[in-house]
Amino acid sequence: MSVRLRLVLLGLALLALAPAVIHVALALPGFGTPTSPYGQTVNVLLPDLRHVTNMVAAVNFDVRGIDTLGEECMLLCAVTGATVLLRGARGEGEREKAGHVPGRPVTPRADATVLACRIAASLTLLVGISVALHGMTTPGGGFQGGVIAASSLLLLYLGEGYAVWRSLVRGPVLALLEGGGALLYGLAAFVPLTLGRPALQNILPFGTLKDLYSGGLMIVVNAAVALSVTGSFGLLLLEFMEETRVPSDESVPDEEGR
Amino acid sequence: MSTLPWFVAAWLFAVGLYGLVTSRHAVHLVGCLTVCQSATYVLLLGLGFVNGAGPPIFYDHPPGTPAVDPVVQALVLTDIVVGAAVSALLLAIAVQVQKRRHTLDPQALRPLRPSEPAPDR
Repeated sequence: MSVRLRLVLLGLALLALAPAVIHVALALPGFGTPTSPYGQTVNVLLPDLRHVTNMVAAVNFDVRGIDTLGEECMLLCAVTGATVLLRGARGEGEREKAGHVPGRPVTPRADATVLACRIAASLTLLVGISVALHGMTTPGGGFQGGVIAASSLLLLYLGEGYAVWRSLVRGPVLALLEGGGALLYGLAAFVPLTLGRPALQNILPFGTLKDLYSGGLMIVVNAAVALSVTGSFGLLLLEFMEETRVPSDESVPDEEGR
Repeated sequence: MSTLPWFVAAWLFAVGLYGLVTSRHAVHLVGCLTVCQSATYVLLLGLGFVNGAGPPIFYDHPPGTPAVDPVVQALVLTDIVVGAAVSALLLAIAVQVQKRRHTLDPQALRPLRPSEPAPDR
């Protein structure tokens, strides 16, 4: 299909959709004066009802917890799909050594790079864990903290090189984190059912406002999301990193002694 | 001023859509999809904004002070994370297409054709 034909199709589709789009656009509330009472009700009620100060986390993990369970499953499915697609062509065999194009010089990393990356990776991991743990009180939560923690793996790769990175970061561990997080979330939804309560009902004591322990069951769900997101993004990094290694027998080990 | 966020969202979506339609490269296609998606972030966050209100986090200021809508922020949050994972899935598909068809141009793809042997390099 040529670009011209595609543009014509887009024009026709836009023409067909235009009346609905214009209708909705004219019905938008003015910026800064929302008409939905839902969010404001949450702001008024949730600090007293759940003893948490971060309303975004409260919405994610309590008020709309079932929605987030769905998102969690979407994340799991997307990452599983990507992993299956990449591994399907490459095979299960993992290469401990990086491939090396013959004739291309191997430049060792400067010590300063290694040191800077080690410090930065540790700090990033700590920040990620902290952001995830304080999700109920200050801005943050499992999603943000998990992504930050996973990005520390990339810094580790930058500093250590492929071989060491692969010995530090194990695929099965990441897969366990990912699946374990999703399982924990499922259990948090299921256990209240066994007690004859609605799914995901907050059955734990709520704790005190502004404390690290506040929000009851939300803490479990938050931790589950943090684990799952860390595992998912770490696994994606690992799979795409594997993909850059051309599995040919001629390749010689890269980065000796590192 | 009060309509600027909506125009930004519409412009982002239009730019992304134009890129999607005219794309000649699968990785570029995924990038355009991400641009389209960021239009939804602007729209959602704009929908929840309240004039003169603070963040919906009642740590420093007591509960009851005016705050923006937390529901749309929660939606944007999960949107971003799941969007990133879906982008990764699409890129994995692009890798497979490159391996089997030796092209990333959507126009060069023909359905239901046995995969070709690798061209000599």
